[in-house]
Amino acid sequence: MPTPSDRGPGSGSVLKRRVAPVRVEAAIHPVVVLAAVAAAAGLLTWFAAGRSKRLGPAPSEGRRYAPRGSAVTASAAQRLNHASSMLAASVLFDSGLEHYRGQFFNRVMYTPIIVSSITFASSLHGAGDTDPGSSRVRHAAQALAGLTGLIGFGYHAYNVGKREGGYSFQNLFYSAPIGAPMALTLAGLLGVVAERVRDANPQAPRLGGLPAGRVLALATAGMLAGTTLEAGLLHFRGAFQNPAMFVPVTLPPLAAALLVRAAGKPEGASQVGATWGMWAVSAMGIGGVAFHAYGVARMMGGFDNWRQNLIDGPPLPAPPSFSGVALGGLAALELLEHRPF
Amino acid sequence: MRIPGLGNAADNPQHGTPGDDPEHHPRARDGRAPNVMRIGEWVPMRQHRDEDEVDFAIVGTGAGGGTLACRLAEYGFSVVAFDAGPYFRPLEDFASDESHQSKLYWTDERIVDGENPLQMGSNNSGKAVGGSTVHYAMVALRFRPEWFKARTLMGYGADWPIDWREMWHYYDQVEDDLKISGPVSYPWGPHRRRYHRRAHEVNAAAKVLARGAEAMGIDWTPTPLATISAPRGDAPPCVYRGFCTLGCSTNAKQSVLVTYLPRALKAGAEIRDLAMVGRIETRNGRATGVHYHREGRWRFQRAKNVVVAGYAIETPRLLLMSANQEFPDGLANSSGLVGKNLMVQGNQAVWGVFDEEIRSYKGPPSLAISEHWNYDDEGRGAFAKDFFGGYSYMSQGPLPQLWANTQASARGLWGEALVAEMQRYNHVAGLKVVSEYMPQERNRVTLSDVEDQYGLPVARITYSWCDNDKALNRHALKFLRQALEAAGGREVWDQSDDTCHLNGTARMGHDPRTSVVDADCRSWDIPNLWICDGSVFPTVGGVNPSLTVQAVALRTADRIFATRAT
Repeated sequence: MPTPSDRGPGSGSVLKRRVAPVRVEAAIHPVVVLAAVAAAAGLLTWFAAGRSKRLGPAPSEGRRYAPRGSAVTASAAQRLNHASSMLAASVLFDSGLEHYRGQFFNRVMYTPIIVSSITFASSLHGAGDTDPGSSRVRHAAQALAGLTGLIGFGYHAYNVGKREGGYSFQNLFYSAPIGAPMALTLAGLLGVVAERVRDANPQAPRLGGLPAGRVLALATAGMLAGTTLEAGLLHFRGAFQNPAMFVPVTLPPLAAALLVRAAGKPEGASQVGATWGMWAVSAMGIGGVAFHAYGVARMMGGFDNWRQNLIDGPPLPAPPSFSGVALGGLAALELLEHRPF
Repeated sequence: MRIPGLGNAADNPQHGTPGDDPEHHPRARDGRAPNVMRIGEWVPMRQHRDEDEVDFAIVGTGAGGGTLACRLAEYGFSVVAFDAGPYFRPLEDFASDESHQSKLYWTDERIVDGENPLQMGSNNSGKAVGGSTVHYAMVALRFRPEWFKARTLMGYGADWPIDWREMWHYYDQVEDDLKISGPVSYPWGPHRRRYHRRAHEVNAAAKVLARGAEAMGIDWTPTPLATISAPRGDAPPCVYRGFCTLGCSTNAKQSVLVTYLPRALKAGAEIRDLAMVGRIETRNGRATGVHYHREGRWRFQRAKNVVVAGYAIETPRLLLMSANQEFPDGLANSSGLVGKNLMVQGNQAVWGVFDEEIRSYKGPPSLAISEHWNYDDEGRGAFAKDFFGGYSYMSQGPLPQLWANTQASARGLWGEALVAEMQRYNHVAGLKVVSEYMPQERNRVTLSDVEDQYGLPVARITYSWCDNDKALNRHALKFLRQALEAAGGREVWDQSDDTCHLNGTARMGHDPRTSVVDADCRSWDIPNLWICDGSVFPTVGGVNPSLTVQAVALRTADRIFATRAT
């Protein structure tokens, strides 16, 4: 039996011709959507933070700062933003990779990607801002990052503990990496400090009522120790099969010790040793990417099989988090020496 | 789209497969042997003529023979190691196909009888260079120290002539050589060195074992395995392909084929693949060499010393086949014990269905273990021990064909019932024991009247459980069932007749009247004839034997070197 659609155009004058509504269907990979959302969030943050201000006369309220003092705080703040950018970028790519590996099993797993993108944008924005004086948007974005990292830590800790065997090495190795979300907290902390330093009195910058240089030196030393613990745990999982895997568990603690010593020196004293230590850790973080790439090459199929090995091999974006913290340490040393370098 | 370099040659037509046929034409010849770590590459191999009197002719290249060949060559001896099987290139020859990979098994004809006839072939013997380590489950466990004095300390079986502390030293060595991936701390037994690689991530089947053990109040741990969790040389870390018991195609598995044998070749050993040894020649009470079949003809290799390492069936078979006027009952058989005390291990299992997806075939098959019943001699309540010996139990990962076979043979499912059961394959998990059976003289290997393809008499394998074995089986199945149900398993059923591993048949001991070889694996009767494989075990313990076989082989090499002047 012929159906209405079989008839020619003239035959069915009684029937109104029906047109299906146009449906737009495009095969867009969810990861592309996520990347777009993260990028958009970053861009929005950038624009919301307003135009970067170039160094000019400080907003006058009757006081005049000596140029050197404000040069120091501005330089330190910028450096802190470099540190925060580096950490946020590391978190952006690392959490993207690892949460993709975890197939975004829990929707919360999208969060760090978007938040680290916001943090990255806000830190980059700050890095280009030589003006003393903070930005409220940036400040808020960095605080958000700090908080997100802490919440992430809670999620990861729960994930480890709920598994068979509880807080055993086995679960610390293979479930959600317990220390990883803290990198976002560190990014946020350094970003917040950057804004605070911008606001501080350039002659004697203080944080929470204490000398800014000292506080920041001790804090970054602690951050280095924490990052070392994380690297140590995961390199222990890899059984330190390559001697180079010992570098990130030996060099950063040494550099951290130099930072602590630097915090004890009188203000304005030379900090050459600690400075070299921080540069060494920064370089190690970048060099670590090359070592991790070598590790990926040693997985079955190497880079030919990149779709598997980038995910299951040593994570390429992880080592630069050391560089990020070390840049924070350099900012502290600037404040301690009371001169920009 | 195929990404270049993905997988291995068998999966990837770009690489092609090797043009030669390793199952019919020897690869180790013309001064070279396959480089098993690299596709298409070779390594140089020192070769000997048949009329050269080499220091050692070793029969078998598995856990015992391959390990020993490596160490003896490294000590500077001239070594020729024979294997009846092919010299496989894992990266090129191994397919992800259960049927095809049965080429790794020793499926030559054998006759089985007794009250509990053994199933030979897949689960317990290999025919390849590297022996059954090419398809073993890689479970790398140490004996409990007391087992080396089972008779004196625990009242059953026989004592080993080796002290456990000495064995502990050799366990350290073999664990280092194989870079065993194991837990950070091992819950049972005396202190051991940290494993050289961290344990692998456990799969859902292993988590079932963990939940069951926690519910039953006993310890569990990720299993120490001879597959690496971090790279080593050319070997990449395990990618959890799950075909371990059918040949690892990535070389993450640290079989003798990819560990000791490359070292042996480097140290100057010669390996002869597709070389079946049929007879050991003796004169004036000493071995003078071996008759072997290769490339279509029988040949004779002269040797100053002969080592038999053919595993617990082929070793006694060769000794018995070599009977001559000097030794009418077979070589090294003045005690009459060659071929006797054959020991297998229990391999019973319980299986159940789970609500959640398990997909137990992901990763190595035995990722979690409990050795509780190897170390608890009393038990309590319903699980009070009423037998000698112990058992460990592990999570399981049967591949689909094996699983269908199990359903058909152990449960008699067929047709629609079998299809329906296979639909639930992804939701099944099981626990399987490796348990200690008693040595009994009535369990033995003898020669039958049937001849094989080489014209050699086929082995007759007689095996029966004793009451102690049956009591152990009951205890194990009862405990496993409760553990599996506690972990959430439904419709639990017992697989009660499986066995694994082969040991005994040429036991070591202190006394020539009650043993075949001494602590150094040297036969009491013929001073230059050695036996170095699972055959020398006086007792079998409740753990997989490969690590102990290899530790004994390392010790034997050291003892041979230490006593070389005599």
